[in-house]
Amino acid sequence: MPHIQNSSDAKFLYVSLPALPVLLSGVAVGWQSGITWYGMLLGLLLVFGAIGCGLFLWRRHVDELTQINSRWERDENSKIDAVVTYTTELERLLLTISPILSQQVMVSREHTEQEIISLTSRFAAMVNELQQIVDSTDNTLGGQHYHLDSVINTSRDLLQPILQSLRQTHQLESDIQGELQKLSTYLGELNAITTEAGELTGRIDLLALNATNEAALAGEQGQGFAAVAKDARKLADDSLHIDRRLGGKVNAIIASVNTALNISANSIQVDDSTLFQAEANINQTLSHLGLALTHYRDDVEALRNNAEQVRSEINNVLVALQFQDRVSQILTQVENNLLNLQKTIEKIQQQGSSRDGNMLQVDQAVEHIEENYKSVNSRPNPEQSDSDELTFF
Amino acid sequence: MAKTIMIVDDSASMRQVVGIALKGAGYEVIEAQDGKDALSKLTGVKIHLIVSDINMPVMDGIAFVKAVKQLDQYKFTPIIMLTTEMEPEKKMAAKEAGAKAWVTKPFQPPILLAAIAKLVLP
Repeated sequence: MPHIQNSSDAKFLYVSLPALPVLLSGVAVGWQSGITWYGMLLGLLLVFGAIGCGLFLWRRHVDELTQINSRWERDENSKIDAVVTYTTELERLLLTISPILSQQVMVSREHTEQEIISLTSRFAAMVNELQQIVDSTDNTLGGQHYHLDSVINTSRDLLQPILQSLRQTHQLESDIQGELQKLSTYLGELNAITTEAGELTGRIDLLALNATNEAALAGEQGQGFAAVAKDARKLADDSLHIDRRLGGKVNAIIASVNTALNISANSIQVDDSTLFQAEANINQTLSHLGLALTHYRDDVEALRNNAEQVRSEINNVLVALQFQDRVSQILTQVENNLLNLQKTIEKIQQQGSSRDGNMLQVDQAVEHIEENYKSVNSRPNPEQSDSDELTFF
Repeated sequence: MAKTIMIVDDSASMRQVVGIALKGAGYEVIEAQDGKDALSKLTGVKIHLIVSDINMPVMDGIAFVKAVKQLDQYKFTPIIMLTTEMEPEKKMAAKEAGAKAWVTKPFQPPILLAAIAKLVLP
């Protein structure tokens, strides 16, 4: 510790500076007035007085210097104590805070990594789901078995034969009605014939009656003829009876045929309307289905495009999420740097009072940290071109 | 039968991203977190290709490739380095160790899949 030092030169100056003028003054007075014992004694006394004064001033000066040195030393010691305390506390702070920071960095890194993993999983699931949507829309739009266009056309093809069958059935009904009308006509004619037969039977009966009368008039010779006439009348009666029954049946058949004709006519009318309506409905339904299919296909196409776009975006996000790897590396470097700092401080601390600032090797440490960071930071970023990504050996 | 690919990377998120890309392309995936872990998982299985990082704790990617090339069963198995490194010296070291391709991170999945498709035997 540098002190303000007293020196023999300073003491000499303090003694000689007052004495020298007195001595010179005495010599000058002696030179002018002549040297006397009285003068020499007075001069000597004055010189000693001046030396005494010088010694007195020197003592004052030494006391003053001692006080100043003492104050300065106290002040310096106080400052050194403060610096030592500050250094010790700084070391303690670094040693305390370094593991905490290291722990915080590690926890942050691990949390970030976990969240990135979770996020990546969710995005991956979304990509898969979107892929399924795209695949299913591909089936919808282009698949042979699920092509709705084909379904509608097939339905149309399947419905056409049914309509054709209905038309044929309708034609058959018309044919049957025609035949029934012919039958009705024939039955009318049959009824007329039956009536004529009845009238003929009546005339035969009348003829048989006349023959019976004539036979009765003929007497004994007419008996045989009367028997024949009687049988003829009986035959005419039977024939009349059959005619009436036949006429009744024919009338009943005519009534049935007329009823069948009416039913058939109504049926044909209804079928006509139904067939027309069915055909119109089927065509309209197929047309609506075709229109709906067009809208559906447009929607599916839009959905597919959107899904493809979203899937592509998510894939890009998955690529971007790889930044976690670099973040993780940088944070690991931070952890290592903090650990190294902690070790360095602990090592220096063990040197006790002999430690000095050079032991920190600040420049080397900073250079090492910067070099490591540069090696991580100079690595490629997501915007790089594809050609830089792949090299075959 | 699906081909099996081993992913060696100390970053769990990277293993996951690579795994998603590979599984999406129909590959079976086995994961390892460093070279030593990967070597221990090579026994008893048939690995068709390895995708490995370089900077890893315990055993780095270059040492791992060298170790794999010493194994009779895997000396011809193609290895792709997937890394953030860009230094030509490291690239050369990987090539000399026996790696077949070098893909830089962050990677585009189609690029990695194209490299794999080229290196995996049908």
